[in-house]
Amino acid sequence: MLAQKPTRSTLVAAVLMASVAMPALADKASETLNVAFTKELENVDSYFNSSREGVVLQRAIWDGLIYRNPETNEYVGNLATSWEWVDDTTLEFKLREGVTFHNGEAFNADDVVFTVNFVANEENGVKTQRNVNWMKSAEKIDDYTVRIHLKEKFPAAIEFLSGPVSMYPNEYYAEAGPSGMGLKPVGTGPYKVTEVVPGQHFVLEANGAYHDSPKGQPEIAKIDIRTIPDVNTQMAELFSGSLDLIWQVPADQANKLAQMGQFTVANESTMRVGYLQMDAAGRSGEDNPFTNKLVRQAVNHAINRQELVDALLQGSSKVVYTPCFPSQFGCVQDVTEYDYDPEKAKALLAEAGYPDGFSIDFYAYRDRQYAEAITSYLNAVGITTNFNMLQYSALREKNMNGEVALSFQTWGSYSINDASAMVSQFFKHGALDSTRDDEVLEWLNVADSSTAPDTRVEYYTKALQKITGEAFWAPMFTYNTNYVFKDEVAYTPTSDEVLRFVDMSWN
Amino acid sequence: MTDVTDPLAAEIHGPSPRQLLKARALSHKGLIFGMMVVLLLVLVAILAPVLAPHDPYAQSLMNRMVPPVFMGGTWEHPLGTDHLGRDYLSRLIYGARVSLMIGAIAALISGVIGTAMGVAAGYFGGKVDAVVTFLINVRLAMPVVLVALAVVAILGGSLTVVICVLGLLLWDRFAVVMRASTLQISRRDYVAAAQVIGASTPRILLTEIMPNVFNNLIVIVTLEMAHAILLEAALSFLGLGVQPPTPSWGLMVSEGKNMMLFEPWLVLIPGAVLFVLVLAINLMGDGLRDVTAPEGRS
Amino acid sequence: MLTFILKRLGLALLVALTVSFISFSLLFLSGDPAAALAGETASGEDVEALRRLYGFDRPMLVQYAEWLFSALRGDFGESYYFKLPVASLIAERLQVTMTLGLCGILFALVTAVPLGVIAAIRPNSIIDRVALFLSVAGQAMPSFWFGLILIVVFAIQLGWLPPSGAATWRHFIMPTIVLGYYAMPAIMRLTRAGMLDVLNSDFIRTARAKGAGETRVLFKHALRNAIIPVVSLAAVQMGFMLGGSIVVESVFALHGAGYLAWESIARNDLPTVQALILVFSMFYIVFTFLADVLNAWLDPRMRSA
Repeated sequence: MLAQKPTRSTLVAAVLMASVAMPALADKASETLNVAFTKELENVDSYFNSSREGVVLQRAIWDGLIYRNPETNEYVGNLATSWEWVDDTTLEFKLREGVTFHNGEAFNADDVVFTVNFVANEENGVKTQRNVNWMKSAEKIDDYTVRIHLKEKFPAAIEFLSGPVSMYPNEYYAEAGPSGMGLKPVGTGPYKVTEVVPGQHFVLEANGAYHDSPKGQPEIAKIDIRTIPDVNTQMAELFSGSLDLIWQVPADQANKLAQMGQFTVANESTMRVGYLQMDAAGRSGEDNPFTNKLVRQAVNHAINRQELVDALLQGSSKVVYTPCFPSQFGCVQDVTEYDYDPEKAKALLAEAGYPDGFSIDFYAYRDRQYAEAITSYLNAVGITTNFNMLQYSALREKNMNGEVALSFQTWGSYSINDASAMVSQFFKHGALDSTRDDEVLEWLNVADSSTAPDTRVEYYTKALQKITGEAFWAPMFTYNTNYVFKDEVAYTPTSDEVLRFVDMSWN
Repeated sequence: MTDVTDPLAAEIHGPSPRQLLKARALSHKGLIFGMMVVLLLVLVAILAPVLAPHDPYAQSLMNRMVPPVFMGGTWEHPLGTDHLGRDYLSRLIYGARVSLMIGAIAALISGVIGTAMGVAAGYFGGKVDAVVTFLINVRLAMPVVLVALAVVAILGGSLTVVICVLGLLLWDRFAVVMRASTLQISRRDYVAAAQVIGASTPRILLTEIMPNVFNNLIVIVTLEMAHAILLEAALSFLGLGVQPPTPSWGLMVSEGKNMMLFEPWLVLIPGAVLFVLVLAINLMGDGLRDVTAPEGRS
Repeated sequence: MLTFILKRLGLALLVALTVSFISFSLLFLSGDPAAALAGETASGEDVEALRRLYGFDRPMLVQYAEWLFSALRGDFGESYYFKLPVASLIAERLQVTMTLGLCGILFALVTAVPLGVIAAIRPNSIIDRVALFLSVAGQAMPSFWFGLILIVVFAIQLGWLPPSGAATWRHFIMPTIVLGYYAMPAIMRLTRAGMLDVLNSDFIRTARAKGAGETRVLFKHALRNAIIPVVSLAAVQMGFMLGGSIVVESVFALHGAGYLAWESIARNDLPTVQALILVFSMFYIVFTFLADVLNAWLDPRMRSA
């Protein structure tokens, strides 16, 4: 793929290796694992950020009632020991006894009630409402028994409770609130936070009193996480020995690092799907070209998905045509597929009344390289793009205000293995819905709330077929993630794009 | 920034006829070198469609990061290809257009603004001078890179926006120098004489003042052009300047940076070209100052 | 002297006021701040309520006055992104930027002044030419590129210095060189020119004629006089450098105020951006004011200016 002579690679590798041999600043000897994050987290409180790094910290610092084994996908109790459905909208939990929070507060039903009632209240402004807005309230039965009441039938409840919904200490949270929790997080998880410098670095230390959790016991004593936005700088730090693990490494760099033989490079697929969002609803202007189905189809035909996957994403990435990840429940693949055909795209544009193409603002927030390649395909069929690269939060705002006609987006579904986590997030007339199709909404409502798997599949199929048939989006590829770490670190990444410190140890 | 006295200038005494000027220019190595390089790059920019071996926008994902010919590549892509398989040489050549255009137009805009303000302040003095001096102070107090980044972020990055933002921000040196030069000249006898015989103000400004500050103006134009080119590169490097797919040297450095540890030429080539262009323009500016304005600058 | 200081102070305050107004108006350039604040689930009414709550429905000048008075009390509002007070965010990061700025200007002075002096004493010598080359190259060097090259050479190839961060003094070496080199050419040229001027002046000739030793002439008389404008230039450059550290901080992943500014711009975090523009401007204004006063104190002729 890369026209490159092996001799040169070896040379570069040799030079780099010489520098790797430098005395490391921190490593196994110091019992500290140094990790880099790409993004500055706005708030460590997991309900008040919406980034992957936030999920990583959430899994380390807090626990949910339920735990899903990332390999077997089996649900087991974590802070709860057992649970049962009392009726379609009520779940009852028996809680684990003898668990304490990092600040010494004992865990009991009051904490669950407070946490659920706080996050389910829309006014408290949890960032990703979909993670919590299916819950109505929680009710204490006794000190170690609670019931969670749902707004309506919600079959994915267990999945959500094993994912983004974690339990906070009621007394502390009532006093500190989200911003206090962000600066001094307190949970029950395998790692406790000893230092937070907002946006710069976090220090985690193993929770010596961690309960007998299915997550396992933490083995690495201390984890120091620095924010280094640039992958190039991250690699430089890895070479100079002051980082032990980096992740989300693009394929090009990961290949080179693998050639060096000094690091473990692990590639795992993720649930993240990359797609082009088009303003079919006309929110950015009634007359924007994407209100025309022909234009949306043209965009779908203009993108060479296979080439993007083969040349740029590589690894375990796959081409997708659905607005959800293929393994997700309900994400049927029997949908309209658009092959790469720039001539057809041009013809469709001409038919839509744009024989000379048009010019449009194009937005992206990550993977600049992919975004550029995508715009190149669009430019080639006559769609001139004014390229805008924003940070996620800024693009999200613009999007919610309906100011974005065309954008390159990605969604990781919070690693929830159910189509509702993606398709229902974006096609149910929420602020981020650029389509606003009533039929799709109706079908998704049925599919999301039915408890009969067959009915769910039937209605997701309807919705997905309409979404792809109308070319509301241009789904393109699934992501993969490269984890690169020093050989002295032992870790097997999982396919859900979550870095689990508790599963790491020294070789 | 403080206008620094160039001592080389002080070594040459007295006013000189045209002939002497030409001789001085020809013997000034920096000036000659700078002019040659700038001229060459201007030619390259103008002839870009003829010179570029490939379409600078043609993406070929299967031919990414092919090394340059001197690092084991082929003559198909003399300077290799970038992260999207686009011909690096062609992008460099078209990049010269972007840099020179931004530099020239931004310097023109700021030149017009700064000269108008400076000449007005120097000629009219009094309240006009006070206001202009105040505006210069305000402008100098604003952190240029930060303000430019913020404005580009708000308005969206494009060639036009970047040119305008730079043009509207870089007039300070024009104003400072033009004010000083005008002040000096308007005190001279022939200006007073023109005023006495009742020449109109615009006429005096155009026929007496402008020709006499012109040399200084040219020097500042070149220096500010270099300044604008460097700033554009910095903005593009930070991702808030010229936007892809437009080939800008700063952007090329930024895009190559991610593979810098393995393919350093991706960063070295565009950076070196940028350095040479700015160096040449600066040498030209310094040289012009030495040659044209030997007196009155110490 | 006092009148001079008061006059300069008044001017500085007026400049500061104007700059504060300009940085405040940026918020209005960017569209509807209320919509930006509202968030995902907000309806039109919510946005309206927020607009009233934050007072975005009032005339711009009223809002400006309010913002200014809070800013004077050190309250720059809350960051849209971190939901934390902007003042504390900036205070936390300013330390890195200040350290970098100080190191940078010291580096520039320590390299530029001796080079400038030697170049002036021995015009057209090798050292003069080297100095001239360094200054010409410095003015043309894109600092982001220079920084990247230093990283490759000194952090990766040689492994002498850490490539990023601000944990120890060693982390500051490369950023200092890059930032300092940006200020060096101007200082060096001014030192050289000033020295040449003074060396050619009457009183040095007199000193020499009186039989003062060459070293004494150089350091006691010439340098002392030549250094006055250099000191004030350094103060001004310091102000520029703090504003210019944004590029250097991003190259070396230094979490300073410049880096915060860059990230905040990309995040559309306007209260933070406004405050940072104001803070950087204030530094410049304070430094130039100090330079003026210093100049006037050292050189009484300037006071009438």
